[in-house]
Amino acid sequence: MRRSMLIRRLMATTLPAALLMGSVTSTALAEPMYGRNWSTYGLPGGIDTPTAETLPDGTLGATVSWSDYGRRSSVVFQAFPRLTTVLRYSRVDGINDYRNDGYISDRSFDLRFQVLDEQGWRPAVAVGLQDFMGTGVYSGEYIVATKTVTPSVRVSAGIGWGTLAGKPRTIDARDEGGTPNVDDWFRGDAKPFASVSWQVNDKLSLVAEYSNETYQTFYSDRSEPAQQGDEEPGSNLNLAAYYQLGRNYQVGLYTIGGETFGAQFTVALNPREATYPSGLEKAPAPVRPRPAPSADPEGWSGQWAQDPTAQPAIQTALGDAMAKEGQVLESMALTGNRAEVRIRNQRYINQSEAIGRTARLMTRALPPSVETLVITSTADGVPTSSVTLRRSDVERLENTEAGQIAAASVLSDAPASAPGLVRSPETYPRFQWALKPYVDLGIFSAEDGLTHEVGAEARASYEIAPGLILTGALRQRAFGDISQRGPGIPGQRGEHYTAEEYLADPSLETTPEGLPRVRSDTRMYTGNSDPVIPELTLAWYAKPTPTVYTRVTTGLLERAYGGVSGEVLWKPVNSPLAFGAEINRVKKRDFDQLFDFRDYEVTMGHVSAYYEFADGFTAQLDVGKYLAGDKGATLTLTREFANGWRIGAYATKTDLSAEEFGEGSFDKGVTLSIPLGWATGQPSRERVTTTLRSLSRDGGAQLNVNGRLYDRVRDSHSVKLYEGWGRFWR
Amino acid sequence: MTTARNFALATAMLGALAACSGGSHQGEGDQGGVFGALGQVAGQVVAERRGGGEAPAETAAPKSPQEAAAEALRVNQGPLIQAGFESLNRTQVMAMTGQNGALRTYMTPAEEALILRGGMLVGTRGLGNDLSVAEPQTEGLIRAGASGSGQRVMRYFSGDGLERPLQFACTVGAGPNPGVIVENCEGHGATFQNSYMVQGGQIAVSRQWIGPALGYVTIQTLRP
Repeated sequence: MRRSMLIRRLMATTLPAALLMGSVTSTALAEPMYGRNWSTYGLPGGIDTPTAETLPDGTLGATVSWSDYGRRSSVVFQAFPRLTTVLRYSRVDGINDYRNDGYISDRSFDLRFQVLDEQGWRPAVAVGLQDFMGTGVYSGEYIVATKTVTPSVRVSAGIGWGTLAGKPRTIDARDEGGTPNVDDWFRGDAKPFASVSWQVNDKLSLVAEYSNETYQTFYSDRSEPAQQGDEEPGSNLNLAAYYQLGRNYQVGLYTIGGETFGAQFTVALNPREATYPSGLEKAPAPVRPRPAPSADPEGWSGQWAQDPTAQPAIQTALGDAMAKEGQVLESMALTGNRAEVRIRNQRYINQSEAIGRTARLMTRALPPSVETLVITSTADGVPTSSVTLRRSDVERLENTEAGQIAAASVLSDAPASAPGLVRSPETYPRFQWALKPYVDLGIFSAEDGLTHEVGAEARASYEIAPGLILTGALRQRAFGDISQRGPGIPGQRGEHYTAEEYLADPSLETTPEGLPRVRSDTRMYTGNSDPVIPELTLAWYAKPTPTVYTRVTTGLLERAYGGVSGEVLWKPVNSPLAFGAEINRVKKRDFDQLFDFRDYEVTMGHVSAYYEFADGFTAQLDVGKYLAGDKGATLTLTREFANGWRIGAYATKTDLSAEEFGEGSFDKGVTLSIPLGWATGQPSRERVTTTLRSLSRDGGAQLNVNGRLYDRVRDSHSVKLYEGWGRFWR
Repeated sequence: MTTARNFALATAMLGALAACSGGSHQGEGDQGGVFGALGQVAGQVVAERRGGGEAPAETAAPKSPQEAAAEALRVNQGPLIQAGFESLNRTQVMAMTGQNGALRTYMTPAEEALILRGGMLVGTRGLGNDLSVAEPQTEGLIRAGASGSGQRVMRYFSGDGLERPLQFACTVGAGPNPGVIVENCEGHGATFQNSYMVQGGQIAVSRQWIGPALGYVTIQTLRP
């Protein structure tokens, strides 16, 4: 009973029907008040002022806004239907910090929560925190209400504190930033603001607003406020025109106070709006129903199973057919009435599609007496779960609602081996290689702005036996402006040691606070004009019990560390809870990224708890010792969609003080992962993955070893499998 | 919509940057004929059980639908239909690749599929905005040439990666042209009209709505 409820819940979509119907429907239906244009801060809003609008749940957007006051690059994510989050990287012109560049670079983070949605006469109401963790150049809070007056006109009015009231917060020149400034919230003078937006037609909207923003900055060590840009806005009135280009882009022109002009560009994607939602993969081979017993008495009797040539012939044919659909038949056990196949899915983002296609191919390949079909998924040569189906159910339910076959199937833990399993010939050893260009981009660096490096990478893997994999990569830089450089000089912010200085004095590899430089000298590993070896490892994956997975990886584990990494994970197939432990003995690699090591060596690791909540949220808590020997914990929250989109945020706090840690106070970041197939429609397990992290610091630094178990095992476990089960008959 | 495609195109080009790769996982692109994967599965695995004939060969020069139909009938001995996808602006011959009870799967040479039950559209595959499955309560009325009403559930694979049902209220009755049964459906702010020509309980010719993105397909039976 419980299980079928779980299946139903996981397979239920929250997508409004209107979205599915696309342009067919008029939008006359009452739908949430979604923002129609983007503010200079990268949220739905007026120009500088906020509104109570939201974005469609899950929307991911990026806005770049330029004016004489500076440039703001914002990434927005609608994390929940009512919660909008923004990460911003700004260049604020006209003011100076210790770098004396004529501008400052600033990171900021916003949250906006829609307390009430619009209903009848009641306006939508939202509360927001702007720049509530950074050094505070944009720091302010607001309460705002937005009301639809006519279908094309919306009016917003609110009350703001801090920057929004023209009373910017004083910035502590010595503060490391990165912690919430709770004492300041909703304090000081408050002033009203208002905006009105008019949707002229499908594409054009016009906005006017009344804003109190003065574009000034107060520093604790200066008596006079510093003016951003050239001068204060000429008036409180700002005007803008926004133009929508298709579904995903918007451009805007605006004036702040009538004398300062600006332009902006926004791109927004919603994981729910794929161009080809069902994918462009070729149609699956249909089910082949069995002939009547009278038409094939021999096949139905099961006597064929006595023939020793039967299984090899069937296994070869099935393996060839599966290869055409992007899968590897690793091994097979066959008796008169039961067949188990162990498969490796190399093409489909949802494991259910691999399982559904395999089930159909089995109906085409197996003699009629075989009624029980067991499809065991594997990852890195290790079985992860088994789906057991009755062949008659596959025949009966082909091309029906996917929930029916889900209810008729059984999902169970897969033991490491099963009686009668015969490995397919020529599956091991397996050699694969690829030669690709690579692009490294530094985007959110305060020191350097946008940096890049381009080159070629050769990558090969050799699977000696199931679970035993040799992997290597070789990179050659072609060009770029990410050069080798030492870490920042303590006490002289903005200045760096040269590579030569850093190499000449080994004592520099420890910070004045006594912390080994485990990540802050990351730039020493860049700028190599000779080939480098980012990774060269031998990994062994195994499964001592049906619910316990293990990994041992040894070699050059990542760019900066080599050694041995061991991991164990307990994850029953139907459990949303999992536990893991990892221990690593690693040594710091030399900066040429070949086979030499530096002096620093550490034993570190952590214990982990994982939990899969309903509705696509997962949480991971790691507690342990980090690369620099500091002890602490990392909490990661991830939202993932059945189509494979993943957006997560993490924070690490260790026993280092904010001063020992340095700028940012503690490590935090955002990870994005978008399946390539979502964008192209072509089936692929490839992903575009990026991490936006605050800064390379030594505290809370994790080892970047490849092949961690949890995400590999989970693809075929209950939550993710049933979430993606809609692709079974694809 | 177009910009979404542009994005898709840009990302595809990113993928295309990947210069080359090798190894034993390459499974695509080596089939010369039509229905490569399927033909081989059926051929190698259960050769003695395979009915029907070979698929039509892919041809180089564009042909008129009539020429294509004639050639397909000559080359292929199995059941054939001709399908015109209105929004895609193409007409193609599709050959039956599988039959499970009354369900028949027809495919184009590029392995896009229509799944029909006695001519009634039940699903599509490989078209990007596929109909996962249709559950028309009106099917009996249509086959019997009777009038009445019923519900039609159409399930789609939605952008968030889940299968989603859309419900439509439909009425069935004789159309303005003799011999044509018309099914009018309404729901979720949309309306569509399916037309069927029924012969002996089988739908021989029809124009049916696949879904919001793909619109209508006209299906003509070349060989039942």
